[in-house]
Amino acid sequence: MSEERIIKYAEAVLAVASAENDGTEVEDELFRFARAVEGSDDLRLTLSDAKIPAARRQQIVEDLIGDQATSTTTALISMLVAAGRGGDIQRIADQVVELGAASRAKAVAEVYSVIELTDDQQIRLASSLKSATGKDVEIKVIIDETVMGGLLVQIEDEVIDGTVRTRLKQLREAF
Amino acid sequence: MKKRLFIASVAGALLLTFGMAGSASASGETLEGCLLEDLIEKLEERGHLDGGHSGLDDEELLKEIKKKCIEAPSPILPEVNEIIWGGGAFLVLLALMLWKGFPAVKKIMDERSEKIASDLDQADQAKVDARAVKTQYEAELADAKSEASRIIEEARQQAESLRADLQVRAETDIAEMRTQASVDLEAARERAMGDLQAEVADIVVGAAERVVEANLDAEAQTRLIENYINQIGSE
Repeated sequence: MSEERIIKYAEAVLAVASAENDGTEVEDELFRFARAVEGSDDLRLTLSDAKIPAARRQQIVEDLIGDQATSTTTALISMLVAAGRGGDIQRIADQVVELGAASRAKAVAEVYSVIELTDDQQIRLASSLKSATGKDVEIKVIIDETVMGGLLVQIEDEVIDGTVRTRLKQLREAF
Repeated sequence: MKKRLFIASVAGALLLTFGMAGSASASGETLEGCLLEDLIEKLEERGHLDGGHSGLDDEELLKEIKKKCIEAPSPILPEVNEIIWGGGAFLVLLALMLWKGFPAVKKIMDERSEKIASDLDQADQAKVDARAVKTQYEAELADAKSEASRIIEEARQQAESLRADLQVRAETDIAEMRTQASVDLEAARERAMGDLQAEVADIVVGAAERVVEANLDAEAQTRLIENYINQIGSE
């Protein structure tokens, strides 16, 4: 799907989220669902398989999300899957997060970590990143066990890597 | 030349004259014939035959007959008739010789002289030609020797140049082979060192990863996150 169409879908999702409730929560839930799809090839193929009836794919989404997300988020994801955009959920979610943050004059900071960050840690990390980059950021935590430990933060094209994986890689290269 | 030719002609005429005269007297008259013929002739001249006189008492007659038939002729002076006939024959022969013989002989001699002169000229010309050919041959031989020397020298120089080129090429090849061998050896050494370092790194890093994984519990993870936040904030 073209980037322009991705943006239009993202804008539509944002409009619905803003109309229904706090858009930030929908953005966060959509972002997490996208990361879950990203980590599962089977789920991604299932949601993008046109041979599977749309109702069946929507049912899969609803069963998968359950009560872990707001009804608005579930409805929006179900709508995207029914529209045949199940394979583009990741790009649409990323675009929704970016557009939402931009509407609040902030940048998205994707934080890769083995464990979830507490709210206090996210606030202090956002503060530290602002002092380091000069940008107001919204923290989006992505659980990734491959980092082994520490954090990897990506803000737009800038990457700040403090993971154990990279330390070990540097150690390997030092030999 | 002319004087010699004239003397030879006269001598030939005299020999022919007296030879012919001598041979006629000796062949045609025996002693008996001479006596009988001369006696009859003298007796008729003096009329003894007509008178029945024998004439044998005529001493003068006998002396003449004796003088003519018995006494030998003069070894120096021939008979008059022989001189006449001989002289005539000589003159006839001399005239014939002067008329036909001498010009013919002269013509032959001239032709012979001309032929000899021509042969001499041809010989001289042949000699000159031979000398020219010899000179030409000698020059060509010298040129050939010079050309041969030049070719030999050129071949020697080419051989020397080729030898030098081959030597330089061989030395260059050897140097390149040595350089390549050194490069290959260094590359092999670096590959071996790289492989060894990679293996050592795998072992060391693998061990480190196992140690880290074993010690990265929730508390350690939290500590790493806090360190990261504090480090970013202090920069």
